[in-house]
Amino acid sequence: MFEYMDYNIAPWGHEIVIYFFLIGAAGMTFVYAAAPVVFGNVFGGAAKSMEPFQRVGLIASLVLLAICGPLLIVDLGQPARFLYPILYFHWTSPLSWGSLFLPLFGLCIVGFYYGSIKDNQGLMRWTGILGSLLALSMPLYTGLDLMVNQTRELWSNPTIPLLFVILSMSSGTAVVAVIQLLRGQLDQRAAEFLHAFLYLSLAVTFALFLAEWVVLNYGTGEKQQAWEIINQQFAFKYWGMTFLIGILAPLVLVAIPKLGRDPKILTLAAVLSAVGAYSFREVLIYAGQLTQINF
Amino acid sequence: MPVGLQTEPSLGVPGKKRWAMVVDLRRCIGCMACVCADKAEYDVPLGVWRTTVKVKDTGHYPNTKRHFMPRLCNHCDNPPCVRNCPTQATYKHEDGFVLQRYERCISCRTCIAACPYNARHVLPKNRDRVKIGGVVDKCTFCNHRVEKGLAPACVQTCLGRSRIFGDLNDPNSEVSRLVARHKTVVLKPDKGTRPQVYYIKPDRAQTEQVFSAPQSYAARSDAQAFYQRNRGSKFFSGVL
Repeated sequence: MFEYMDYNIAPWGHEIVIYFFLIGAAGMTFVYAAAPVVFGNVFGGAAKSMEPFQRVGLIASLVLLAICGPLLIVDLGQPARFLYPILYFHWTSPLSWGSLFLPLFGLCIVGFYYGSIKDNQGLMRWTGILGSLLALSMPLYTGLDLMVNQTRELWSNPTIPLLFVILSMSSGTAVVAVIQLLRGQLDQRAAEFLHAFLYLSLAVTFALFLAEWVVLNYGTGEKQQAWEIINQQFAFKYWGMTFLIGILAPLVLVAIPKLGRDPKILTLAAVLSAVGAYSFREVLIYAGQLTQINF
Repeated sequence: MPVGLQTEPSLGVPGKKRWAMVVDLRRCIGCMACVCADKAEYDVPLGVWRTTVKVKDTGHYPNTKRHFMPRLCNHCDNPPCVRNCPTQATYKHEDGFVLQRYERCISCRTCIAACPYNARHVLPKNRDRVKIGGVVDKCTFCNHRVEKGLAPACVQTCLGRSRIFGDLNDPNSEVSRLVARHKTVVLKPDKGTRPQVYYIKPDRAQTEQVFSAPQSYAARSDAQAFYQRNRGSKFFSGVL
């Protein structure tokens, strides 16, 4: 009768999942916006197809960041102390690094935008390179934040940071594709460029999804317990929203050579992959917290 | 008080103390006096606990058994909560306590996620008598009492003398003798946390996570309700 009096409530709710999703999308949107300057003529100048997206991409990235920052602050029990992770920086905590990189990333976006207004190529290049690295660090640190919890076996897995970076590629591609389609600027060259990234991100996500499946089934007792929780509590989100809608359907769409490069189909596939990216994170974050409640 | 964030483990180090607890499960009668003493000592709010006694019924009528398992912070020698805290709010004292600096805690709940023993909780923001709120709290091994030569509140009140507290580095202490003489078990040793709460004669159903799943219908129903309440369906996890 007292068996469950001792549970202290699971710590992370919706806002953390939304934050993880949006910060990944913001980061990859910036990478796309800065790609023409950062990558220039690499790969035959393919990145130049993103030039029309540059300014609007920076604004989109900044808007997403403007949502993420306050969301993370409001999520704290002590929002007024939001600078403490920087003031009392703790180098072994990924959250400290993330708190440091987040404003720096914002500064890079502003710096890049300023450089583009003033046509300052040097400033754009430096803020573009630094900002792209910081942009990649955003989903990376969110994944690391889970991975360093060695006591939660669903999270303590070196593929999680990689998975989060790849998922942010999907969601970032969705942001770019939707914006450019609505502006009527998703031409064939841009679609080709986005198609390559979306195809890559979906293929890697698919591989990591299978890897997760194998690891959880062949893993320790706690991993098997996590697999049970996923299938009992999150079956629809995991198999329906993540696998079928978020990975398999868009992968099939982009894999068909002519169909996958059609701007509208590509945008649809990107949006579906973003749904999967959200859902995958959601299941991993929640199920990872539930594995211990029977103990 | 010296503040060492990641102090070296003091276990076995001459001249240093290593406070630890032994819980003799042969003596625990499930009276919950330790839980009450702890609630009284710290004015712990409703719904959260610094220490608990987990109760588990096993077997089928008429061959049944009720197991009691006192649980608290394990004051690990390799505490993942300390490593993961972004503000250094939680730290390890050189005598082995894992403590919390309330004035630094931002309540990001990373430490709760990191703790494998479910030993941490969030204090509600608005409290009547105690002003500390909206931060993460945990068992402190009653370090304020220990520094004055007193036993922790839960140990003082334990009427079966199930909970025994002392310095493991002192070979003449009761905890040292118990750990030396008896086969003791720590919780989740495979997690690498090096916990410092030692149990004498626990049941497998209590110490192994996978085997400690709810068994009775009522317990399963409670677990189901807990799942539904805490699967992220609420913003801010419903804790703040």
